[in-house]
Amino acid sequence: MWNDLANLLFLAYEQFSLLPLFIEIALILIFVAVMATLIAYGSILFRRYNSSVYNKRLAHLSPIIEDLITEQVLLNENLGKDIPIEEIHFDQKALSNKIFRKPAVRQILIDTLIRYRKNFRGEVGELLRKLYIDMNLVEDSFAKLRTFKWETKIKALVELTQMDIPISDSMLLPLTNSVNPTLRAASRNAYIQLSKNEPFKFFDVATEPILPWDQMEMFKIITTTKDITIPNFSRWVSYSNNKSIVVFCLKLIAYYDQQTAIPSVLELLGTKDHRFRAEAIKCLGKLSAEIAEEKLVSMYTSQPVNCQIETLKALGRIASGKHLEFLKNEFLFSNNFDVQMNAARAIIRHNSQISRLMLNEIMETTNEENQLIIRHCQNPLIKY
Amino acid sequence: MPNILVIDDDDIMLKAIKNILNKDGFNVVTATDGKEAFDLLDHTIFDIVITDLMLPHANGLEVVGRLRHNQGNRNVGIIVVSSVGNEETITEAFRLGADDYLKKPIMAGELLMRIRKLIANKNSKTQFVTKKK
Repeated sequence: MWNDLANLLFLAYEQFSLLPLFIEIALILIFVAVMATLIAYGSILFRRYNSSVYNKRLAHLSPIIEDLITEQVLLNENLGKDIPIEEIHFDQKALSNKIFRKPAVRQILIDTLIRYRKNFRGEVGELLRKLYIDMNLVEDSFAKLRTFKWETKIKALVELTQMDIPISDSMLLPLTNSVNPTLRAASRNAYIQLSKNEPFKFFDVATEPILPWDQMEMFKIITTTKDITIPNFSRWVSYSNNKSIVVFCLKLIAYYDQQTAIPSVLELLGTKDHRFRAEAIKCLGKLSAEIAEEKLVSMYTSQPVNCQIETLKALGRIASGKHLEFLKNEFLFSNNFDVQMNAARAIIRHNSQISRLMLNEIMETTNEENQLIIRHCQNPLIKY
Repeated sequence: MPNILVIDDDDIMLKAIKNILNKDGFNVVTATDGKEAFDLLDHTIFDIVITDLMLPHANGLEVVGRLRHNQGNRNVGIIVVSSVGNEETITEAFRLGADDYLKKPIMAGELLMRIRKLIANKNSKTQFVTKKK
């Protein structure tokens, strides 16, 4: 039989080699396309089968799990009686049900507990956490954290974060510097939420960048997590070699209005990277750092357009009134439309008697195009 | 026994609130979307309506607005429970006529306390109107 097959293949190869080259190429392409389609269909079918098995299992187990949570947590007799959560005990008979020993069931139990905890805090939230600990589900999550699969690690991180279970630095810190960007972001977010005393310690060891999207997510976590210790971010502005961390810290300095960080931010004005300088100028503007005005104006002419625009915005935010003439000249004599626009906005933003007089004077003496720019910038519906 | 309608598309939240309120002696009816809620509100009078904001078919703000415009349901107490926490949405909910707002995750005790307070307010208003008559 094997001989026949080998002969057949050999004959097919002989026939194939006699064909013109473009036909050979076309046949190879057709073969690759058919195989790829078959693999794709096979993969889709496999995933659908897995998902249907999971859904069937879930439909069967959900009522059992929900009954457990309802009886042990939601309808717990000790709730609302000012009894410390540690002293509330569950019915061990219900917890030791054999069904809860199966790994798949335990995973569904963890997922359900997390869904409940997203909806409830206070006593109920704490009791859900206690159930997670008492059923030893913590170990399941830690076991997942020790696997090699990054998706499983992320799942474990989400579970432990949602249940507010501390993770040791030796386990979590290396993950914050992972080469996998998704795992890196998840572990950094977990670190901020779980480490109450030093939530930004990973900034010291991070060599991998914080991507812009991750910065947004992290910013949301930092500003919404309760009882988080906010450090002086200037220490990373001065000493970190990771550019993305410095940029992120500049944003946090501005958000938390850390005035003590102004000297460190001023030092960044001498850096060679113009994007860095632009971020530092923006930060100084948001901090209303009047001390920086002279320096910003003196370096203005040697800067690229993005830094010039940030300088004009910063002067508008600081609004000390010392550089109105400079802003007026930029508005009247610059050839760059964006520069003109931002200079006009900066003057308007001063909102002082002198700035208003200056605007009136410009409106009376300047050409129509400039008047149009000022009227546009004065529109309060257009965000500055 | 006060009648409470709970509207939420998250079945877990729905069951949990139902269990908690039943335990405290309230009669609870649930709806998973705006359309189902409107059907129930057309046929039944509730003392309190607890609604999420993000709902299929009609969102929570529409539910609040419609409740306040409907003569039969004008006196119902409305508590908005949502994970949406921005000021604009909260202000809009109150402008449309919501009585209270709770941000998810909620505290079960706090929810119960606010329900009791709304019912007490409603009862005292009814007594005041009756005495006036």
